[in-house]
Amino acid sequence: MKGPVYLNEKTGIVVIGATGREASQVIRESETLYPGIVKAGVTPGKGGSTELPVPVFDTLSQSIQDPKVGKSINTALIYVPPVSVLDAVMECLDGGIKVIYIITEHVPIRDSEIIYQEKIRRGAVIVGGTSLGCFVPSVGRIGAIGGKDPSIAFKAGGLVIISKSGGLTVTTAEMFRRRGWGTYCALAIGGDIISNTTYADVLHELKDDPNVKGVVMLGEPGGSYEEQAAELIQSGGFKKPVAAFISGRFQERMPEGVAFGHAGAIVERGMGKASDKIARLEAAGKKHPVKVAFYYHELVSAIESLGVPRDFEDSTTDHVKPLYSTIG
Amino acid sequence: MKLYEHEALESIYKKYKIPAPKFVFATEPNEKVREFIEKEPAVVIKSMVLVGKRGKAGAVKVVSDKAQAIDVFKDLASREVYGEKSIGALVEEKLDIKKEFYLSVTYSTKDRAPAIVFSEHGGMDVEEINPELIHTHVIKDVRSVYPYQIRNFLVGIKFSDPDLLRPLSELIVNVFNAFWKTEARLLEINPLVVAQVGDKKKLVAADAVVLLDDDASVSPAVRYGARGGMGRPLTQREQDAILIDQGDHRGKAGSYVELDGDVALMTFGGGGSTVTAETAIEAGLRIANLTDIGGNPPAEKMYKIARIILSKPGLKAVLVCGGTASNTRIDVTLGEGLAKALDDMKAEGKLDPNLVWVVRRSGPEYVKGLKMLHECFVRNGIRGDIYDSQLPITEAPLRLRELMVKHIGYKPEEIPG
Repeated sequence: MKGPVYLNEKTGIVVIGATGREASQVIRESETLYPGIVKAGVTPGKGGSTELPVPVFDTLSQSIQDPKVGKSINTALIYVPPVSVLDAVMECLDGGIKVIYIITEHVPIRDSEIIYQEKIRRGAVIVGGTSLGCFVPSVGRIGAIGGKDPSIAFKAGGLVIISKSGGLTVTTAEMFRRRGWGTYCALAIGGDIISNTTYADVLHELKDDPNVKGVVMLGEPGGSYEEQAAELIQSGGFKKPVAAFISGRFQERMPEGVAFGHAGAIVERGMGKASDKIARLEAAGKKHPVKVAFYYHELVSAIESLGVPRDFEDSTTDHVKPLYSTIG
Repeated sequence: MKLYEHEALESIYKKYKIPAPKFVFATEPNEKVREFIEKEPAVVIKSMVLVGKRGKAGAVKVVSDKAQAIDVFKDLASREVYGEKSIGALVEEKLDIKKEFYLSVTYSTKDRAPAIVFSEHGGMDVEEINPELIHTHVIKDVRSVYPYQIRNFLVGIKFSDPDLLRPLSELIVNVFNAFWKTEARLLEINPLVVAQVGDKKKLVAADAVVLLDDDASVSPAVRYGARGGMGRPLTQREQDAILIDQGDHRGKAGSYVELDGDVALMTFGGGGSTVTAETAIEAGLRIANLTDIGGNPPAEKMYKIARIILSKPGLKAVLVCGGTASNTRIDVTLGEGLAKALDDMKAEGKLDPNLVWVVRRSGPEYVKGLKMLHECFVRNGIRGDIYDSQLPITEAPLRLRELMVKHIGYKPEEIPG
C-alpha cells in the first residue's frame, strides 16, 4: 500500500462540519489538488446541500450508508467548534471510522482526555486537536496543510516532518524542498496537552517503513512528548536519522506563566522545559543518529550531516538577496 | 487561568466537599474581618496574590495578638508580593497542625491521563521533597474513580496512618472530582494538613492552587474575569489589542504581550512567531513585544495591531516575519492592513523615520502583497529589506541584526551559553 496509515492510497475522507468557512474552502482546494480524496461532508441541518463539490449529509451514519460513497469512507476530518469536538469524535468512532484528524483548536482538555481514553479502547488513530492535517505528496493531503499552492513546500521525497505547529510543518517542508530534500509524510500533530498522536507514536508507526530516509522533528516547551521520542530512540525503537529543533528556550528567561503560541507551550512548574528536551535528545544522539539544531534553519545542515541523501538538486544559494531594498 | 485562593475556597472547595479552614476574605478590615478575628483564638492572614511562594516573601502571617491583627491585615491586603499587588487578604482560623501532606491532581503527559500526586512530606516546595517520597496514581479510566482504588494506592505506598485511610481516600476522590468537573489543569493542596480538633484528627486543605483550562467548555474568564498572565496588570496597549478580536472571529490579531526591548515583532502563526522571537533573542536583539497573528485576519485587524505594535515608545527596528501561510492573505495583511497603518501614521507624524525594517513572508498572494508593501516603504521613506520564503524564516532576525549594527550602531545583547 502506498503511503502510511495516516494517509495512503486507500484514504477516503468525510469532513465533519463541512459547510463551515474553513472546511468548505479545504474541500474545494482538495478537490482541485487531489480529486476524489474527499468523499463526503457532514453538517447537521445541511443534508442534501449542493454547495460543495461532494455530497453533504446530516449525520455521519447517513454518509457511511450512502450507496455511492459510503464504502470508500475510512477517515474523518473534524472542523466543528471546540465544544462539539468530543461529540463529533464519538460519532465517528461509533460509526467505525478508525483514522480521525481533529483540526479544531482550543478543544477543552477534559474532552481531549475522554477522546484519548476512547481512542485507546477502540484501537483508533486520532491526530490532534489543533492538527493542520497531513501531507503525503505521492498520495494526497488531509486538511489545509500547504494551502492553495502546496507545491511551494511539498515535493515527494524521503523526509518525515513531525511538528506541533501546523505553520512550521509547511515552512520546514519548504526550507528542505529548496535545499534538495522532499517529503514522504508531513504530519502536524498539534500542541495540545493531551495529544492523541505524539512524536513517539509516529516514529514507532514508521520505524520499518522503507520510504523513510530521515525525520525532522519540531518541538515546543510543555509536556513530555519530545522526551518520549528521545526515550524511544535511546531504547533502539527507532533507528533512522532524526534532526530536531526545539523552540522556546527563550521562555526560560522570561517571567513564569507567560503563555505564548500554543496551549501546550507553557512552562509549568519547571516541567517540560525546552532545555530539558534538548538535553534528552542530545543524550540520545551520543549513540544514535540524532542531531539537535541550535537555530531552526540549521536543521538543513543537521539532516545533511546525518547523511540523509538529497532527493533532487539544491535550488538556492547560501546568501539570499532581498526582493526589495530601501536601505543601503 | 489561575484562581485566587479565596475564589477556589468559595466556588470550588465548598461545592466539592473539600474541607477548608474557616475563612473570610476582604479588601479592607471591615466588620466581618473584625468579628472573625474576635472569635478565633489565633488567625492566619495571607496576601491575595496569584504568585506562589508567598510564605517565603513574608506574605503569610500567624497572628495571635489581636491588637496587632488589624495592622497585619492592612499591610498584607495592600502589599506587593514579588512585584504583584495584593487584591486583599484572606483571614483563616489557625489550625493545630499535626502533619502536613502534599496533594495535587494534574495531567501527566507521560501517561496522557490525569494523575494524583501525593506525599506524606508536604508543606514545602514540591521541588524540595525527595522524589522517592512523592507518589503518583494515574487515572487510566476517568469514567470510574472510587475511593477503594485510592486506598489500594495508599496501602501500596505504605501510607503510615491507617486511621486516615478512609477519610483521605474519600477526600482525594472529592479533589479529583473537583479537578475534573471544574475542568482544571491543576488543583494543588500544599499542605493538606492533619489537624487536631478536640480529641479527633481531621484532614483540612490549608491551601488552594487552582489553574483552570482557558479552553474549558465555559471559559473561566467569563466567570472570574479576564486576567493577564504576566503577574502584572495589562498595559493600555495590551488592553487595546485584546479588543481587536472581540466580536470578530475572522482571524486572530489581538495577542500582544509587551516586553522591555526596542525591536518590535510583527510575527505570524504560533510556531513561526515562537521561532522568530526565539532567534531574535538568541541573536541578542532586545524584543519589545510578542505577538502571534494568524488565521487570515481582515485588513482592519492587521491595521489595528500594527498601529498598537508601532506605538510603543523607544523602538529602533521592526521585524515582520512569518512562514509560508496556508490561509492568511499576504496582500490583505501586509499590502493593505500594514501599509495603510504606515501611511496613516506617517500622515499623522507618528512614524519614526529612523526605524530599520526587515520583512520576510510568503503565502497566498505574496508577490502582490510584498510589492504593495515595498511601494508603501518607498512613498513613506521607510528603510528596510523585504524577503520572501527563499530566506529561511529564522535568518530574518539575523539579517535585521546586521542592518541595525550597520545603520544605527545597535549593540546586540550578549547572551550567555
